[in-house]
Amino acid sequence: MQEIPLLEIQGLSVHYGGIQALQAIDLTIYPGEVVTLIGSNGAGKSTTLRAISRIVNAHQGQILYNHENITRRRPHEVVKLGIAHSPEGRRVLSRQTVLDNLELGAYTRSSRRSIQSDIEQQFRLFPRLAERKNQLAGTLSGGEQQMLAIARALMSRPKLLLLDEPSLGLAPTIVREIFTIIQNLRETGVTILLVEQNANLALQIADRGYVLETGCITLFNKASELLKDDRVRQAYLG
Amino acid sequence: MNLTVFLQNVLNGLSIGSIYAIFALGYTLVFSILGIINFAHGAVFTLGAYFTYMLMGNAFGFNGLLANLALPIRLPFVLALFFGSIAAGLVSVLIERLAFCPLRRKKADSLLTVVSSLGVAVVIVNLIQYLVGAEIYTFPPDTYGTLPPAINFGTEANPIPIRSVQVVIFVVSGVIVSLLTYLINATKYGKAMRAVAEDPTTASLLGIDPDRFIVLTFFVSGFLGGLAGTLVGSSVSIAGPYFGIGFGLKGLAVIVLGGLGSIPGAVVGGLTIGLVEAFVPGDYSAYKDAVAFGILFIMLLVRPQGLLGRSLVQKV
Ligand SMILES: Nc1ncnc2c1ncn2[C@@H]1O[C@H](COP(=O)(O)OP(=O)(O)OP(=O)(O)O)[C@@H](O)[C@H]1O
Ligand SMILES: [Mg+2]
Repeated sequence: MQEIPLLEIQGLSVHYGGIQALQAIDLTIYPGEVVTLIGSNGAGKSTTLRAISRIVNAHQGQILYNHENITRRRPHEVVKLGIAHSPEGRRVLSRQTVLDNLELGAYTRSSRRSIQSDIEQQFRLFPRLAERKNQLAGTLSGGEQQMLAIARALMSRPKLLLLDEPSLGLAPTIVREIFTIIQNLRETGVTILLVEQNANLALQIADRGYVLETGCITLFNKASELLKDDRVRQAYLG
Repeated sequence: MNLTVFLQNVLNGLSIGSIYAIFALGYTLVFSILGIINFAHGAVFTLGAYFTYMLMGNAFGFNGLLANLALPIRLPFVLALFFGSIAAGLVSVLIERLAFCPLRRKKADSLLTVVSSLGVAVVIVNLIQYLVGAEIYTFPPDTYGTLPPAINFGTEANPIPIRSVQVVIFVVSGVIVSLLTYLINATKYGKAMRAVAEDPTTASLLGIDPDRFIVLTFFVSGFLGGLAGTLVGSSVSIAGPYFGIGFGLKGLAVIVLGGLGSIPGAVVGGLTIGLVEAFVPGDYSAYKDAVAFGILFIMLLVRPQGLLGRSLVQKV
């Protein structure tokens, strides 16, 4: 395994008011890896991603990205550093068009030409978005909104992509499509932290996995090992 | 009513209506990004008029701390209007930093912010009175430079004279509305601003700094408020520190009529109220305001979202 981590989370704790969502978790991601975070509802998976993209505050611990401490950075600053977050529940900008959403995904970039060619690239990945490029994002179907959220996150040309439940609410064939896209992304050098309900599928495409239970990391290993692990099979693979 | 009087009324209505529209756009912009009515907007309107008055080198009266003061510079009207509105925009940014931002950081209820903005309005009004007294200031007759009092848009035989002030107002408001519409709908920063208005958290995940756009919005809003203040102040007079308060209420009627948060709504609402007021017969002109608010009430009953508003106000 490579020795220099892209992301290193050390002893991270997060509270929402009185509720402790994360308790001193450690998590490391190396460049080029696909790492998945699995766990049941309310375990703190989304919170972990939100802490990395800085939309929730860390109460303890630190987040190092490329050796830089980003624990006190503002959300828009970490986007510039190369972290993109496709949040839970899609959160497309519903009153703007598909094209505007994609353009805003490239907000931190300036070269018009390369933005344009990236938009075309997204349209090749997600042909449904191309057909609907002038439609208001709020009028897309749930699955189309999910595709738009992923495509929009890619528009910033991230080094680290945080995906929160990309398969949620999608038909099985589309889920396959999305997972193929995630696998292809890795070939282009994007490092991915993937949160998924569908642990089976996630562990099949991931290099390594972490299991989160009520705010604590209880297990982490190679994905292939986790797939064989009895505890994981019982709790998450059904 | 003969045709000339009719046309005159239409012109008067459109010109005051354009000013209502510019002013109301200031409310609308802040409302659409924060979901809050900024009650200090009327006070910024007043300040804009004073700033322009001052930048043109006009002297203040006998009362107040700045009695008889005149700036050593004498800018022509257009420049004074521009810089006076910029100053009003900066005051508006200051208001956001002092009265809005701290409450937003603490996630305070929006009602508290509304009260806070009302407080700022009172402070500004009092400050103006303290500095320059409560008297009425009139712009000197040569304010618009060499422009004649009226320009004939008809023929010699069928004159259609339009007051030069009104021509200025039409040009300025036309430019402002088109520019603003273009900037907000077609540019990267306009789209980013709309993203912040819809969902600041998601906007920040795209690399947009919501705070920067909130400040920018307050600046533009204050600029428009100050501009409207100057246009009214220079075509009528600056009627003392409370000048903008009544106007501020009228602006509320405009945005509710047009639809909260809607830019075309502010324009349509402003022109509608301006036109209706212009046709209030002379004998009843003291009741003009009642007419504006009458329209407002009817609107709230039949179509609470306003002429061009989204179906329901849905800002969390
Ligand atoms: N804004 C919030 N305010 C209060 N509590 C919150 C908030 N967001 C999350 N929580 C709580 O924090 C805990 C972790 O939430 P989180 O969203 O990270 O879970 P998750 O693992 O993503 O769950 P799911 O699989 O259902 O998406 C939960 O108990 C949740 O109720
Ligand atoms: Mg979640």
